[in-house]
Amino acid sequence: MGGVDAAGAWHADGEVLGAYSDGRLDAAGRWSVEAHLTSCAACRLQARALVDPARLRRLRAALIEAVDVPRAGVVERLLVRLGVADHTVRVLAATPALRGSWLLAVATTLAFAVLAAWVSRGADATMWLLCVAPLLPLAGIAVAYGPGIDPTYEIGLAAPLGSFRLLLLRAATVLGTSTLLAAAASLMLPRLGWGAAGWLLPSLGLTACSLALATTIEPLRAFGITAGAWVVAVAVTVAPPPPSSVLFSAAGQVAFATLALLAAVVMMVRRGRFEADRGFDTTPRFAARRLR
Amino acid sequence: MRPDRAPSDAELLAAVAEGDSDAFGALYDQHAPWLLVRLRRRTADSDAADQVAQETFLVVWRDAGRFRGQGAVGAWIWGIAIRRLVDLQRGRVAQERLAGLLGRRRVSDVASAEEQALVRLEHREVIRALNRLSPELQAVLQATVLDGLSTREAAVLLGIPPGTVKTRAMRARAQLRQDLA
Amino acid sequence: MTTPASTVQARDLTMTFGRTRALDGVSFELVPGVTGLLGPNGAGKTTLLRVLATVSAPDAGSVLTLGLDPRRTDQRLDLRGRLGYMPQEPGFHAHFTAFEFVDYVAILKELHQRRARHEEVRRVLELVGLDAVRRKKIKALSGGMRRRVALAQALLGDPDLLILDEPTAGLDPEQRLRFRELVGQLGEGRTVLLSTHQTEDVVALCQQVMMLHLGKLRFTGTPLELAGLAQGHVWHSHKRDPGALGAWRTGTGQHRNIGNPPAGADLLEPTLEDGYLLLLGGDQFEEVAA
Ligand SMILES: [Zn+2]
Repeated sequence: MGGVDAAGAWHADGEVLGAYSDGRLDAAGRWSVEAHLTSCAACRLQARALVDPARLRRLRAALIEAVDVPRAGVVERLLVRLGVADHTVRVLAATPALRGSWLLAVATTLAFAVLAAWVSRGADATMWLLCVAPLLPLAGIAVAYGPGIDPTYEIGLAAPLGSFRLLLLRAATVLGTSTLLAAAASLMLPRLGWGAAGWLLPSLGLTACSLALATTIEPLRAFGITAGAWVVAVAVTVAPPPPSSVLFSAAGQVAFATLALLAAVVMMVRRGRFEADRGFDTTPRFAARRLR
Repeated sequence: MRPDRAPSDAELLAAVAEGDSDAFGALYDQHAPWLLVRLRRRTADSDAADQVAQETFLVVWRDAGRFRGQGAVGAWIWGIAIRRLVDLQRGRVAQERLAGLLGRRRVSDVASAEEQALVRLEHREVIRALNRLSPELQAVLQATVLDGLSTREAAVLLGIPPGTVKTRAMRARAQLRQDLA
Repeated sequence: MTTPASTVQARDLTMTFGRTRALDGVSFELVPGVTGLLGPNGAGKTTLLRVLATVSAPDAGSVLTLGLDPRRTDQRLDLRGRLGYMPQEPGFHAHFTAFEFVDYVAILKELHQRRARHEEVRRVLELVGLDAVRRKKIKALSGGMRRRVALAQALLGDPDLLILDEPTAGLDPEQRLRFRELVGQLGEGRTVLLSTHQTEDVVALCQQVMMLHLGKLRFTGTPLELAGLAQGHVWHSHKRDPGALGAWRTGTGQHRNIGNPPAGADLLEPTLEDGYLLLLGGDQFEEVAA
């Protein structure tokens, strides 16, 4: 069995390999072949003739695919499980704001708000969270999209996936995650009640407002102005004692819901502004020097 | 790397560790055929063999940097493959609710001098003695010596209790020693 | 031989940033093949390429690209699906691998079928010779490799129009050579417009050349025609000719002068660079450019 090459070394010939593959060798033959195959490149190449080429190609393609696409993160895999399309998930994964650092910052901020509530334990216990929570999605979306923030902003503008859709997709994700975190924080407040969810509609309203504003001015500035307006509004309307604000009353909530709707309409009408560095739409250009 | 010579396995593996896709493809082309052939001798299920081969190369891609250069790359790859196969069988065993004997893996791949002699099959007497063993004893020796599996792993692969693996291995060795004396 | 139909028609493109006229009534047509856009820094090259890539809309004027009008939303999106754009400073998600990055752009280009998309990503990475390093993180790649990653994303979907902004900047001579080979191939049957301030790039691979200076198009034609502009305006002399627009000492010790030569000057065969320098040179040569 086998054969000896010019240098006198033992090699398994095709016949021996075939017999091995079919299970026709005795134990000693099997062991010889196996021990030899692990270290002899020449004989390994002979084994190629014993495997269906289509099978080798299929395995190779599957392997290349598996290795090319790096293992998705936990959140990514969860989203895919939930039925979100894989390409959508990839776009979200590229959102700068969705990196761990941002999530950590949001969680820390909320933790402080909850801590403050526990320390004060008074009627103003929920005020901190109510005021801070609506600001979080603003900060997140501000660092989710735009020139100087999204490294592929320029390439994205020249791509058919509408920049507006990209922005909405990311805004929705940031809003979603910060809302989830804020909801979790609300549950940890000392006294639970519907009042603890008072940040939800302002959150939505401010986000929509800032996006609508971003159709006329630089996105970062739009978010800054909206956040500033919120802080001022809270400072002006907060009335002690015990601290409360008309913003979180029933009327205030209705107002924010209306604001969110109005802003959404404005955003839809003016969405062409997001489609290019300098827009293609015919609406008056308030910021011709934007980005320059 | 000189162009007039095909890169060695170790060179390919080093390149793979650096993230070189071409090297990975070359390594696959070199090692996938014999791996599939050898897996055919360990399991009749070709789907299982495909899965094991796939997982093995994924581990190779991930862990290429951990190959320390002692021994043949082929042996290293087989060590990964046979354990993937054991894991696969383990999953099946668990599915069939036969037994839950999840043991820890034997980390050391260092074989004793006796085992090395067995693997190299230097002597005619060893070959003859080996062929005189019953198929059951041969299977146990193959799993524990040639494949380097622990008793528990061999038990899963062969579908017999670990105690049986131990006694058969002892009997096989005793018989070999007796024949070779 | 018939002239191929033009794929891009630009009319009176004008764009202003504050007081700067980046584009000032620029009109031209592009045909399949490689066209080089020459011009010094600040000439408006990037602005023009961005307009053609639909990244920004011009203040005035119109473009018809591949028969599509980017002012109309549906046609603009259509057009974006058929063009590849390599910005001058493409940003990267540095934590992405080369594969992931190009895959991400492929998604932005609405290639949604996962399998087919990944195949396409591998195809373009192989085209630029990066298939071996596609699983490396971009931050681990060299500058030249990153340029090639940027080029690869522009090739996704086999676009009919390729817009490359300074693609050879920062490449060493060997990389430049490989790049020229690749772009030369890409120019077959496709419209490629690349900006550069290297006249060698134009000589090496462009069938057409345009020159932009201070927002105005100063020349369109073939490289040979651009060189021909300097016919009779380049001469040798032992000392630097004070009447020359520009002059430099060559390796032979002679001076090469560009401008209006004195009578009886030792005239030289002009190169494309001579034509380019002459155009940049000044208003006294307007009649030459016209
Ligand atoms: Zn051999």
